[in-house]
Amino acid sequence: MIERKKECISMLLAGGQGSRLYVLTENTAKPAVPFGGKYRIIDFSLSNCVNSGIDTVGILTQYQPLELNDYIGNGQPWDLNRNFGGAHVLPPYTKTTSNQWYKGTANAIYQNIPFIERYQPEYVLILSGDHIYKMDYNKMLQFHKEKGSECTIAVINVSMEDATRMGIMSTDENQAIVDFEEKPAHPKSTQASMGVYIFTWAALKKYLIADEADPNSENDFGKNVIPAFLRDGRPMYAYPFEGYWKDVGTLGSLWDANMDLLDPKDPLDMRNPHSKIYARNYASPSTMIAPSSKVSNSFITEGCRIKGTVENSVIYTGCEVEEGAVVSGTVLMPNTIVRKGSTVSYAIVGEQCVIEENVTIGARPEDCLGEDWGISVVGHKKTIPSGTVIKPKEIV
Amino acid sequence: MKMCGIIFSEMYSDELNAFTHDRNMAAIPYGGRYRLVDFALSNMVNSGITSVGVLAKQHYHSLMTHLGNTQEWDLNRKNGGLQILPPYASESLNQANRGKLDELRNALDFLREDTSPYVVMADAHVICNMDFRPVVESHINSGCDITVVATQSKMSNSNTYKSVIQVDGNMRVTSYALDHVPQPGDYCGMSIMVMDRQVLIDTVSEFTARGVYFLERDFIQSRFNTGDLSINIYPFTDPVLRVNDIESYFSSNMALLDEGISNALFRPDRPIYTRVNDEVPSHYGMDCNISGCIIADGCILDGNAEHSVIGRGVRIAKGATVKNCIIMQGSVIGEGASLENVIVDKWATITAGSQLKGLETAPVIIRKGVTV
Repeated sequence: MIERKKECISMLLAGGQGSRLYVLTENTAKPAVPFGGKYRIIDFSLSNCVNSGIDTVGILTQYQPLELNDYIGNGQPWDLNRNFGGAHVLPPYTKTTSNQWYKGTANAIYQNIPFIERYQPEYVLILSGDHIYKMDYNKMLQFHKEKGSECTIAVINVSMEDATRMGIMSTDENQAIVDFEEKPAHPKSTQASMGVYIFTWAALKKYLIADEADPNSENDFGKNVIPAFLRDGRPMYAYPFEGYWKDVGTLGSLWDANMDLLDPKDPLDMRNPHSKIYARNYASPSTMIAPSSKVSNSFITEGCRIKGTVENSVIYTGCEVEEGAVVSGTVLMPNTIVRKGSTVSYAIVGEQCVIEENVTIGARPEDCLGEDWGISVVGHKKTIPSGTVIKPKEIV
Repeated sequence: MKMCGIIFSEMYSDELNAFTHDRNMAAIPYGGRYRLVDFALSNMVNSGITSVGVLAKQHYHSLMTHLGNTQEWDLNRKNGGLQILPPYASESLNQANRGKLDELRNALDFLREDTSPYVVMADAHVICNMDFRPVVESHINSGCDITVVATQSKMSNSNTYKSVIQVDGNMRVTSYALDHVPQPGDYCGMSIMVMDRQVLIDTVSEFTARGVYFLERDFIQSRFNTGDLSINIYPFTDPVLRVNDIESYFSSNMALLDEGISNALFRPDRPIYTRVNDEVPSHYGMDCNISGCIIADGCILDGNAEHSVIGRGVRIAKGATVKNCIIMQGSVIGEGASLENVIVDKWATITAGSQLKGLETAPVIIRKGVTV
């Protein structure tokens, strides 16, 4: 029998806790954290796959998967409800010989070898669901093929300072990877790994099996599998990516990435109709901007009611800002209410919160000169009682 | 109790001909992100109806695109689901509207295949949020031949309603008038009716065979007048918006600025579904001045807008002013343009500096795709 095949399928690592997002990932996995008004972080990787012509995506979940499972559903919002292929949520499962959680990123893929083999792919694209970017993976795949690569890692040019916190690739003039260092104190290059890998499946499978057999391995791509490829001198290349890319793994970077959406130059190219970012939509009406409101330089999603002042902010679906409330420099996640007389400045407020009357959250940096300033964060589903003051940098 | 639904998609299409030359009533954009049909359809879905026939006669391309595979309404089903029911290519094509019984002839197969005991019929032009389950319950309890959902006229107004019904102290119908002006206390039909499915099939077959085509006049009114038909009134007390001409279309859009109406229409427990477009959230510019507006996703707003309804993906450039307007999807208002009492259909371009002013009762209408 001739079996149906997919040239390239994608495996999306969505099991991470994202502990540096603190309260925002208390009960949900990082890829399910809301972003940019109507999206969740995972929408970017999923939409990139679809916009690159990859219609088979395994989504590996482990930490707090309920919300993510629900969100992915049958994959329809991303056009991933396919008869052959499509979106598949892949939690760890018990097997006759073993019974284990995903130990590391490489082990998570190893445990899903049977899933991958169902599609007999030539290539496997490994993604992590925690970055905000738009990328045509197909171009990277062409690069992988042209170079005769077995492992291609997408890299982006970063500052020397950032390079000390990331995985750094050193390459020769042909973009072949000659060295790889995780968080080097003295980086040899500024090409940082974006956590986007394309492997030739036959090669990766061999290495995953060997890695699993090694009791000393942490079963991690960055720590074990990629160094093993490098050690054996396998053909490895760095694919240079230019464009907007942001790791939203910390509260500060999550806030920054939201604020980047307000840039009229649209660095993320959100309005390009040929590479739309898809999201699961909830039926909410158009937004009402009341006569009492004052809105400027903001992103406001459908389903909101704005009666107060909103400036330099990103307001997600279903939020309400009452008359006399002031929201500035803030990210309001879905279905949150800010009541009369409250001021929310430079903050991230989680989903379904109620900020009661006359609450003060955060402050503008210029108002706390000399003091310790930072964004304030309120977790999901919190009610903040009237009159509460939440200081800059405070996490509730 | 099981019920199926029928939606009439082109009642009053002729009165809104500025918008209906290439779409029918059901597909007219409304409230920034909706089409009129979304209300009747979502009400049916939220009432547990999983089998809906949409009667369409002409210009239903836009309606078909909007409904797509109907997954947004959860009607992409193996059993039942949504069927668009165009006319059979027969004598009824190219003929003026001969009435609902005639249209229902195209739904006979749909009705015969269904197994539910009751049919809910609704027009696309009536905007409300209604649970049809208590309506059907009331129909069953009344034992009447037909149940008509109606609003009670509170104060005297001079508007004509399709059906005006008078009742006695026991809510028994005493008169049924058509195209009439109601007195305070009278009930005004909402073009939402419930009948037994088999009775409807028999009625449609029998009446159309005899060349009688108007449901309200030839069936309900004449049978009622001869004492052969019992009517049950189901009073509806939540807000209702009826779109049957340009003026009511305009005011029904503006009514969404009223929080009471908006709360009644968009209830979280019974959402109104529509086609998803995956637009980016709207961007409100540094110097924009927006007040008293209903705004959909995907807009870039750098100018001024007041008391207006702004559709998906609309751009209002710097220095442009939009007042008392309805701007539909994808239209662009150029720099410094000034619009008052204007309805701009989809994908139109108002060039920089243009000045357009209509009257509240007679708004200027810019057709789809036109450049002004």
